[in-house]
Amino acid sequence: MPSKMKTCEDYRVSLMDAAASDAAPSHELSLHLDACLACSRAFAEEKQLFGAIDAGLRAETNAKVPTSLLPRVRAQLNEQPVPRHSWVPVGAVVVAAVALLAVIVFARGLGRESSGVDRDMQPRAKNAPPAAIHVASIADGPVKTASTTEKHNPSRPARNAQVTQAESLTVLISAGQKRAIEALVASVRQGEAKANIVLIEQTEASPQDTGVAPLAISPIELKPLADLSSESPLEDGKHGVEEFEQF
Amino acid sequence: MQELALIQPGRSAEEEFAQEAAAVALRREFEERLAECGPLAYRVARGVLRNSADAEDVAQEALLRAYRRFERLRDRARFRAWLVRITFRLAIDRVRSSKRREVRETLWSRSAPRPSTEDIAANSEFQTHLDRAMEELPEKQRLVLLLAAMEGHSLEEVAETLGLPVGTVKSRLFFARKQLAEKLRCHRK
Repeated sequence: MPSKMKTCEDYRVSLMDAAASDAAPSHELSLHLDACLACSRAFAEEKQLFGAIDAGLRAETNAKVPTSLLPRVRAQLNEQPVPRHSWVPVGAVVVAAVALLAVIVFARGLGRESSGVDRDMQPRAKNAPPAAIHVASIADGPVKTASTTEKHNPSRPARNAQVTQAESLTVLISAGQKRAIEALVASVRQGEAKANIVLIEQTEASPQDTGVAPLAISPIELKPLADLSSESPLEDGKHGVEEFEQF
Repeated sequence: MQELALIQPGRSAEEEFAQEAAAVALRREFEERLAECGPLAYRVARGVLRNSADAEDVAQEALLRAYRRFERLRDRARFRAWLVRITFRLAIDRVRSSKRREVRETLWSRSAPRPSTEDIAANSEFQTHLDRAMEELPEKQRLVLLLAAMEGHSLEEVAETLGLPVGTVKSRLFFARKQLAEKLRCHRK
């Protein structure tokens, strides 16, 4: 079956593709170009157009590089801070924050235990001056401060000036909590527990610093048993309730 | 009474010294690449901006940006491609922002950078049409066209620089040239 005769229009697309790809025309197209003067001229014009495009692109992209470029960049590099691994300080901050959180949670947990058990077992221990532990994060900026005793006793004379000026978080805990913290500290010192904690002896600690009044025990009056038997049971019981409520 | 203090882990002098040494080595490595790739950054910028002064500014900005992020680049062999992309992106952004500025500002108050002799020579009528046609190309095709037009850049090197198969580069180049020809056919010399 004889193939349909191709016209110049049929060759136009392949002619332009050949010029665009900068490749040699196919055998069939070459034969047509040899035979057709119009297509041969069109092909030459297409090649000229692509040659002009290439020349224009080369003129832009192969322009002479200014000699001032590299010295300018080097001068700017000298003013740039040295790039460092950013994960190092971020990691340190995260470790410090986690450790701080752990200490606070640990202290609060012990506080709940002692408030539930120690109060029943040792009612008088409530009035004992709490041990003060300063948990401080040595960061660049000042740390927001808080005091647990301030929250529980809002009627007490305010120490806001001292608290807000301090750059450390102050946690007031009972004697039992203090013992637990000391045990933690001892384990850190012995290397049993890993934490980024540094212990600093506080030399200028005083009851005035904590703002908690020292324990005042009134003198105990001793009476003979015979005198007690004359008192009514109601009065005795009332006295006991009042005493209990003080706890 | 005791005080607990949380502090950042202390850095010893050895660690400081090691960090300084690493920083110096990083700077030296970057400077070696700067001499090799600085001209490439300029040419990519120049191909997009068609202005020497703007191209130098953009190339400088791209190189500084590359330096600031150099330590994050895991595969240093990809620096060339990385820099080309940064420069191309910055140049495109500058073209767009300058177009917006042109819309805002009146013609008489606009202080365009003085064109160099090279700019004037290249700024023929056909070149102007070519520049305009280039701006209308898709960015992917445009970048391939620019890199392929640079002296000493074979298609294989363009493909390696862009992390593309050679066939993709050829395809993009072919369609880019065809689109340019379509737009410039009526402006041929």
